[in-house]
Amino acid sequence: MALRAAILGHLRVPVQTLTQNGRALQSWNLLNLNRSMSSHDDHLDKQEVIDRVVSVVKSFPKVDPAKVTPEVHFQNDLGLDSLDTVEIVMALEEEFKLEIPDKEADKIDSCKLAVEYIANHPMSS
Amino acid sequence: MSLTYATRRAAQKERVRILYRRALKDCLNWAVHRHLFYQDASELRERFEANKNVEDPDTIDRMISTGEAHYNKFRHPDPYIVPWAPGGSKFTRNPAPPTGIEIVYNYGREDND
Repeated sequence: MALRAAILGHLRVPVQTLTQNGRALQSWNLLNLNRSMSSHDDHLDKQEVIDRVVSVVKSFPKVDPAKVTPEVHFQNDLGLDSLDTVEIVMALEEEFKLEIPDKEADKIDSCKLAVEYIANHPMSS
Repeated sequence: MSLTYATRRAAQKERVRILYRRALKDCLNWAVHRHLFYQDASELRERFEANKNVEDPDTIDRMISTGEAHYNKFRHPDPYIVPWAPGGSKFTRNPAPPTGIEIVYNYGREDND
């Protein structure tokens, strides 16, 4: 028993395995770069989604770009009507290469909801 | 009475929004170039705006039905589908497995069989 404890006490895990793991991880990342033909693209981070949503809304012709913030409501704050909202949501779909079902797209009425929906969507790119 | 009227109007507004959304997408499907789409889209918008101030619910219902029938009649036979969506060009297309993973086609037979 004492012998076993002594052996276990002096055993050390070799450091080499760590570097091997690191190399394996790196090659995995390199592989991901080469997988552009797959149907799964990389996920976006939230700040990028916010920036792109705001830039799409700002470039909408009827919108005053100075008023656009990430929290803005299309109809209450920007003075758009419901059909303009439909057009903005369609522009967002094209920007992020998404296909939002009609009923869900109908619920998106503000920048905040759009950012939330797109950031949580696995296929947005 | 007013509550049922309000719910009926809300349902009509939703139908109009969805009809406009589908019709706008269909415009984009029919348009060969982007600049042709802009013209079609503004014409579509004008057709919706023309009946903006109709108040009678029955007339609105009839107009929406007419619009939906017209949309169905002129729907694009081969619409654009986002690649990952069902029917798209990348749908169920999976990435190749990473190197180091070997697929053994021994059809369920193990080495010690």
